[in-house]
Amino acid sequence: MKRLGNTLFGVILPLVAVLVFALLLTFSLVRMFDVESAMRVEAEQNMLWVLHQSEVAALRLSKAATLAEMGEVEADAISLRFDILASRIALLKDGPQRRFIEKIGFANELDRLDEAMAAIAPMVSDFSPDDALRLRAVLAPFPRLFGRAANAAMIAEWDDMGGRLAAYRAQLRQTITFLIGIMIAGGILALTLVLALRQTRQRNRMLRRERDFSTLLISSSDEGILAVDRAGRCTLWNGAMAEMVGKPATQTVGRTLAEVAGFFAIATVRRGLTRALDGDSSQLTLQPLFQPDRDGPLHVDLRFFPLRDEGVILGAIVFMYDASDRHAAQQKDAADRDRLEELVVERTRDLDSALRREKSAADLYRNFAAMVSHQFRTPLAVADSALQRLIRRGARAEADEVAERAGRARDAIAGLTRLVDSTLDTARLDAGQLGARRVKCDLTGIIEAACARQREATPDRRIVLQHAAPPRSPALCDPAHAEQIVENLLSNAIKYAPAGAPLSVILHGDARHLSCDVHHAGASIAEADREYLFERNFRGTNSVGIAGTGIGLFMARTLARMQGGDVTLQPSCEGVTFRMTLPAFSQRP
Amino acid sequence: MWAKVGVLFTALMVVSTAALSAQDRAAHEKTKHEKALLQITGQVAGGEANLNREALYALPPAELVTSTVVTDGQHTFSGFLMRDLLEQVESQGNFVTAVALNDYAVDIPVSDFYHFDVIVAYSMDGKLLNRSGKGPLWIVYPRDDHEELQDIRYDYRWVWQLYQLDVLP
Repeated sequence: MKRLGNTLFGVILPLVAVLVFALLLTFSLVRMFDVESAMRVEAEQNMLWVLHQSEVAALRLSKAATLAEMGEVEADAISLRFDILASRIALLKDGPQRRFIEKIGFANELDRLDEAMAAIAPMVSDFSPDDALRLRAVLAPFPRLFGRAANAAMIAEWDDMGGRLAAYRAQLRQTITFLIGIMIAGGILALTLVLALRQTRQRNRMLRRERDFSTLLISSSDEGILAVDRAGRCTLWNGAMAEMVGKPATQTVGRTLAEVAGFFAIATVRRGLTRALDGDSSQLTLQPLFQPDRDGPLHVDLRFFPLRDEGVILGAIVFMYDASDRHAAQQKDAADRDRLEELVVERTRDLDSALRREKSAADLYRNFAAMVSHQFRTPLAVADSALQRLIRRGARAEADEVAERAGRARDAIAGLTRLVDSTLDTARLDAGQLGARRVKCDLTGIIEAACARQREATPDRRIVLQHAAPPRSPALCDPAHAEQIVENLLSNAIKYAPAGAPLSVILHGDARHLSCDVHHAGASIAEADREYLFERNFRGTNSVGIAGTGIGLFMARTLARMQGGDVTLQPSCEGVTFRMTLPAFSQRP
Repeated sequence: MWAKVGVLFTALMVVSTAALSAQDRAAHEKTKHEKALLQITGQVAGGEANLNREALYALPPAELVTSTVVTDGQHTFSGFLMRDLLEQVESQGNFVTAVALNDYAVDIPVSDFYHFDVIVAYSMDGKLLNRSGKGPLWIVYPRDDHEELQDIRYDYRWVWQLYQLDVLP
C-alpha cells in the first residue's frame, strides 16, 4: 500500500504534472499567437478618417467653387481641390477601401459619385465662374453621402472592434485559465522536487552513516582488509593489515601491491588477485608471510572477492586472517602423528624381531635334531671309536696309547661341548638374553689369547699375528664377546682355508675404530653366496663336507653389532678377509 | 546581392526612361519650367529649397517593390531615396514634417531614411503618379522587406500628394 502510494506520488503525479504543464503551455502559446496576429490593425479600420477626409475634400472643392464664383480664387485652386477630391474617390475605389464600402452598403452611391466626378471633370479643366453654381449643385450630395458613410463606418468599426475585444477577452480568459493550470502543475512539480530533494538528502545521510559504520568496521576488524582498484593499486588498507604486513596505510594506499610487499608478488597470491579482478572469488590457506623485523613467518588465510557495482567490476577486496595459531596446532598434530608412527614402526619392528626370534627358535629346535644327527654324531663317533679301541686293547694298551686315545675322546667331547655351547648361545641371542657389557679393554690381548688357543687346537696350522700399526687406544667392548667373535672368525678360516695355508690376523685401527682382519689365501667366496653369508644357518656352496652349524658368522656379526661394531667380508680378489670392527674407547663419551 | 539588384533596377530605369513616348517627352518638356513640385524648408542649406521635376529626376533613381495598405497586391515604385534628397539639400535636422496637398502633416524621424531604403516615388508600375491619384510624390517604405514596418505607426508615414518637407532640428 505504502509502495503504491510512493509510486503514485513519486512517479505518476510528476509525470502527469509535466504532461499537463506542457499541454497547457502549448495551448496558451497557440492562443497568444492567435491574439498577436489578430491584433495587427488593418488599414481599413481607418475608414472613418478616410471618409472624413473625403467629406472635407468635397466641402473644400465646393467652397473653392463659391470663392471662384466671387472671383476670390484662381481656376488653379479649383483644379487642386478637384484633384484632391478625385484622389479621395480613387482611394475609396481601390482594393481594401472598396471592399469596406461594399460591406457597409455604399458601393452604388460611390459609383454614382464617381460618375458625377467624371461629369464635372471637363468643367474643372476649363473652369469659368459661371460653372460654379452647377459645380456646387453636383457636389451638393457629396458631403452628406460621405457623412452617412462615415456614420456607417463608425458603427461597423465599433461592431468589429467590440467583437474583436470580446474575442480577445475570451482568448485571454482561456489563457489565464491555462496559466492557472500551469501554475498548479508547476507547483506540483516544485513540491515533488522538494520532496525528492529531501528524500535524496535523507538517503545521502543514511549512506554516509552506513559508510562511516563500514569504515569503523573495517578499521576495527581483527582481520586484515585491503582493497585494490582495477589497475591493482591499493585503495584501502586497515589497521590489522598494517599490523600483519608491517606497513602503515600511508605507505601503501595508491601503490600497487607488488610494490607494497613481496608477499603480494607470490604467484598464488597474484593469481588470487587477478581472478578477483576477473570476477571470481577464491581463497588461500596458511600462506607464510615474512616480515623483515619478525623471526618466523606468520601463516595467513586469504580470501579474494571482486568488488562490483551494478555488474561492473571496480576492483577487488582481500581479507587476510592470521592463522598462525592454527598452523602451529597443525604442525604439532603432524609432529605427534609422526612420533606415533615412529613408535608404531618401532613396536612393529620389536614385534617382528620377537616373532623372528620365536620363529628362529622354532627353526633351531626343528633343526636341532638334524644338527645333532649331523654335527654331533661325528665327535660322538670319534669318542666312541677311541674308547672302543681302548676297551679292546684292555690291558695290552700302553700308557701312551691310552693317553692318546683318551685325549682324542676328550677332544671330541670338548668339541661337542663347544657345539652345544654355541647352539645355546644362539638360542640365548635369539631370546635376547645375551647382553653386552661394554668396557674398556685391550683388544691385542684378547686376540693373542684366541690365537694361542687356536694354535693349541690345531697345532698343524700356522697363524700369523701382525700389528699393522700399534693401536693407540683400547677398544670399547665386551671382552667375552670380542673373544668369541675372533674365535669364530679363526675357526671359520681354519675350516675353509686350504690345508697348509697360513692364516694371518692383522690388527689395525684409527682414532675412532679398531679393526681386526682375519685373512687366508683360500678360494674366494662365490658372488652368489656373499649376500647371504651372514644369515643364520646359511652354508655356502664351498661348505660341503665341512662340519659346521651355519651360525658362526651370524653369531659374530650379531655380537659385533650389539657393541656398536660390525663384521664384514672385505672385497678382495685374493683370498678371503673377514674384518671385525669395534669402536675405540674414547675419554669423551 | 542588393548591389546587384540596384544595378538591375538602374538598368530598368534607363530602359524605361528611353522608352518614354513622344507625348510624355513633350509633357516633360512642358513641366520643365513648371513651378516647384517639392518645397523644402527648415534646416537645409539656404533655409529653403524648391525642387522642380527636373531636379528631382536628377537624383539617383531608386526602385522598390512592395505592397501597400491602401492597394491590393505588390507594386513597383520608382523615385529616389529620401536620404539622397536630404543630403542633396544638406539637411541638418532630425525630423522631417511631411505635408500633403490636403494639409495632412506627419513628423518623420530622419533616422527612418537611414535605417530603411525609404523612397519618394514619382511613378508606380511604370505610370507617373498624378495629383488626382497619389501624386505627384508619395513617400514609400519598403514594407515587405522589414516586418517592423508592417505597423500602423509606420503606415501613417506613407504621405502621398506630398508637396512640402519641413526639416526640423
